[in-house]
Amino acid sequence: MSLLCEISAPFVANSAVDESEVVRPLRFHTGSCLRCQARHAAMSKTARELHAMSAERSEAPANMEWRVLSSLEGDLAVARSWRTPIAVVAAVVSMTAAVLIWRLRPRTS
Amino acid sequence: MSNPPDPQKVEGEKEKELIARAQKGDRAAFAALVRAHQNEVYTLARRLVGDPHLASDVTQEALIRAWRALPRFRGDAQLSTWLHRITVNTAWTQKKRAKRHAGPSIDELTELPAPMGPDHPEAAGETLELRDRLRTALDHLPEGQRQVVIMKDVYGWSHAEIAESMEISVTAAKVRLHRARARLAKDLEEAS
Repeated sequence: MSLLCEISAPFVANSAVDESEVVRPLRFHTGSCLRCQARHAAMSKTARELHAMSAERSEAPANMEWRVLSSLEGDLAVARSWRTPIAVVAAVVSMTAAVLIWRLRPRTS
Repeated sequence: MSNPPDPQKVEGEKEKELIARAQKGDRAAFAALVRAHQNEVYTLARRLVGDPHLASDVTQEALIRAWRALPRFRGDAQLSTWLHRITVNTAWTQKKRAKRHAGPSIDELTELPAPMGPDHPEAAGETLELRDRLRTALDHLPEGQRQVVIMKDVYGWSHAEIAESMEISVTAAKVRLHRARARLAKDLEEAS
């Protein structure tokens, strides 16, 4: 195994996955080196396997749906608990504003 | 090699209809979307964080975040892609939180269980063996390197998407990917 093989190894791995050429300064070596070509072929196969892994599925815990939906219940309960106080405050603010506007209205006579 | 279809999977128009209903607050519709996507969200979470319990928490949190953000989902991307982004961000947050409160290291990864369904009789033994070695090699990559390989080479994200989700520059994402692939190739060569 030559030093050039070791220098080329990361570039060979990346070019195999990206299906691109090895960087120019190393291309002459990798083009004629059987070891680098074998590494390229092995990494191409690995790249295909990596891509194929996207179709794999592991099963989520059986209670996941319940966990998610019960958390949403909590969200809604918090939202509901704020609804009444917010409505009361909004009503008080509106009434105060109406009174102020009426009291401060410009008088013509 | 192909996996059997997820029995809960909903496609196309039906999914769009469920999304529209869920966006209006219909929790039954959202429950159907959870059933359809929980396995893929969990699979991604498991790949990203390793630990199955943490992956469960990430899945739950990601799906809750999805519910909250659903009114803003415009359908530019597929729902699964959108969920992947939320899952990656959630995993990132949870890992940081877990590290702060860490007891034992969560980097001690367990192997992802075999995919669901039959034993893939069509698959050659050699391919299965490579897949096993690949899983082990992935688990032994440093966390940041494993994540970029999963996002780029398994799920096909762009460098820009990876950079954005990991809060690093595009150049840093490329460098990390370059190193990760080199190490992966080396580990696989040594293992064979």
